[in-house]
Amino acid sequence: MAERITGLDPTSGPLPEPSGRVAARPASLDGAVVGLVANGLGEAEAFLDALYDELTNVHGIAGAIAVLKPSVSVPPEPDDWQRLTEGATVAITGFGG
Amino acid sequence: MTALRADRLDYDDPLELVEDYHRRGWTDGLPIVPPTPAAVERFLDAAGLAPGDVLGTVPTREVVVTAEHAAINAVMAGCLPDYMPVVAAAVRAHLHEKGNCHSTTGTLSGASQLVIINGPVRNDIGVACTAGCFGPGFRANATIGRALRLVIRNVCRSVPGFLDRATFSTPARYSFCFGEDEEGSPWLPLHVERGLPPGSSAVTVHSVMYMVSSPDYVSRTAEGVLDSLARTLRRQGTAGDKWLGDGTNVVVVMGPEHRRYLVDAGWSKADARAYLWPLLTAPQQPGEGRVKLGHPEGLLLVAAGGPGMAETWVMFPHLAWAITEPVTERMERRP
Repeated sequence: MAERITGLDPTSGPLPEPSGRVAARPASLDGAVVGLVANGLGEAEAFLDALYDELTNVHGIAGAIAVLKPSVSVPPEPDDWQRLTEGATVAITGFGG
Repeated sequence: MTALRADRLDYDDPLELVEDYHRRGWTDGLPIVPPTPAAVERFLDAAGLAPGDVLGTVPTREVVVTAEHAAINAVMAGCLPDYMPVVAAAVRAHLHEKGNCHSTTGTLSGASQLVIINGPVRNDIGVACTAGCFGPGFRANATIGRALRLVIRNVCRSVPGFLDRATFSTPARYSFCFGEDEEGSPWLPLHVERGLPPGSSAVTVHSVMYMVSSPDYVSRTAEGVLDSLARTLRRQGTAGDKWLGDGTNVVVVMGPEHRRYLVDAGWSKADARAYLWPLLTAPQQPGEGRVKLGHPEGLLLVAAGGPGMAETWVMFPHLAWAITEPVTERMERRP
């Protein structure tokens, strides 16, 4: 009978299961303040501005909070996070070029 | 030696282990060598490391990478114990803050992690530096680069579909490692140019967004070869980040058919950079990209490759120097 063999787990632990829940979606954007979070790649700002213009044509949007990340590879600045979490009803962002 | 901490799994035979590691997603898709406790202890001994020695962290992922992690993955990659000091140095370099593991291994761009080996260790363990050195056929090159990538996958959690979000990725993510041809060049080796003493051994890890060949079969002068290289760099430009400045680092690997014109003219790497600098920073012309090198030393010139094709390879970097740079790590122990 062949000898048994022992192997070591090469990982830093199991991959976590997706956690958290998707935030509740507002029934309407009427009166909403829309956060626009641009990552700085390509034409992200122009795209978000154009998207905001389209939204204002369809919904009664109350205003926007525009945030430009300092780099594609870092999160928004703490002050920007605060502006978003305190003032925005919904936020829109994206990734890629 | 303190005890190994990793969980242990028992199998009836080695093939069952290999298949189970595939099923668990612990390989890059290729078979692995079983990381038995005895093998892992041999690797740690070869590098003078204790299992719990910390080689680095990925703070955004709450990951701490230990020597034991690196040794397990080095065994799996097919390394020999004598490679372990190099693997440990490569892991340290990649996990340096400026190595920017989280960004360079999670990126949509699928950047690869290039490992360049310098110093006497190349000859000690048989690192290929000349003909074919980017490709298959050389155990040290193939397995050291693979070991780093397995650490990135298994320990740092850059698993495709999870924290590796590459759009296409690249075959260079299986393994990308070679040595500088220090014997075939009178130039200062890369690690010495970056401040380490001659005679030391080191690895430099550079995250590569993409790489292009700069062939020139016609030029017979140093100026002609470098003019061609400058045209290639200006045609491509470098990826940048307008918030982080213009400084990037480009690795230029020059083969012997180009190198000889510079060497015959008595040009050093610094001379080559001094000649290239005004060519690279001249105003952008239509159809050209910007070469965003903050300073001449951002051009890392490396001698490697074999005879035949008159070409130089350019490894364009992932992101800007403010958050990502090539990192050179001295090896603390030779085999």
